[in-house]
Amino acid sequence: MINMNCPMEMGNSELLVAYAAGQLNLEAKMTLERHLAGCPECRSLAAEQAALWKALDAWEAPPVSPDFDRRLYRRIQEEVRHSWWERVSRPFRPMPLRQALPLTATACLLLMASLLVKHPGNLHPVEPRAETVRVEQVERTLDDLELLDQFSTPGQVESTGSGTM
Amino acid sequence: MGSAAAILDHDAELMLRVKEGDGFSFGLLLEKHRAPVIHFLYRLVQEHGVAEELAQEVFLRVYRSRSSYEPTAKFTTWLFRIATHLALNWLRDRKHERGQERLDDGPGAYSRQISDRRPSVEQQLVYEVRLEEVRRAVAALPEKQRAAVLMHKYEEMEYTQIAKVLGCSESAVKSLLFRAYETLRARLAHL
Repeated sequence: MINMNCPMEMGNSELLVAYAAGQLNLEAKMTLERHLAGCPECRSLAAEQAALWKALDAWEAPPVSPDFDRRLYRRIQEEVRHSWWERVSRPFRPMPLRQALPLTATACLLLMASLLVKHPGNLHPVEPRAETVRVEQVERTLDDLELLDQFSTPGQVESTGSGTM
Repeated sequence: MGSAAAILDHDAELMLRVKEGDGFSFGLLLEKHRAPVIHFLYRLVQEHGVAEELAQEVFLRVYRSRSSYEPTAKFTTWLFRIATHLALNWLRDRKHERGQERLDDGPGAYSRQISDRRPSVEQQLVYEVRLEEVRRAVAALPEKQRAAVLMHKYEEMEYTQIAKVLGCSESAVKSLLFRAYETLRARLAHL
């Protein structure tokens, strides 16, 4: 009967650990103690575990430094200030070249497109017309016209045309 | 969300208030968990200064995560999960840096941290030697076993909670603790 309930045989060693730690409720504790009375193996393990528990109890951690909170809040404040500055300065920070190039190219294209819409003629500029016409030039043109009239016969035109042109 | 937190625990509810911008609730959480977190970290890394630095990082991460916090588990599970993660990372980094665990600081390093109760020089000496043996025995445990023992022994956590902190099954925690206590019993049997 004892072996059937043996925590070690049942693979329930945590029961002995809990017993040594004083974590079992009264009913479970009494049931286990009845078993321990007849099981030297479990009794020995429970005693060793209790001794270990006592040894571990003696290991106290040092007290927390009095300025722990102050240091932590200072770090938090720094972080908050930093993140605030990050948010504000992010739009003005220089971008990496890889990101900046496509954006710049797009902006240029958009600018050109808007110029096209507003001033469509500007892309094919016409040479400015002369505001003043020289008198000599007009006279020379009239002379040329007269000459053309003089040679207006078909045969003469053909012979002179191939020569001058 | 608030009712979900109330079902879980009061700490989760406080954390939800922190999420809404209540700094006072953060102060309450800090007041309640400061010492347990530092003591847990101290026993895990066994250097008081490092333990406090890691604890600062733990609470800083809690504060940083406030906006995305969801009370899906007990607050302490989340808190100790952060603490354990940071401590185990620190131990691994130090192990790589030094090539081995630094366990040879000597009892003098710890004796300064023992409380002032000194009944006699002889008793003090015996106490220090025993304590040093306990410290070394715990430090010699594998990291997960060590963390499990410290959470079980000093923080009185349930197996299920330890399992959630360590990210393993409850049966794995039982196995970890069984092996850890077995090793400790063997090493400290003479005490």
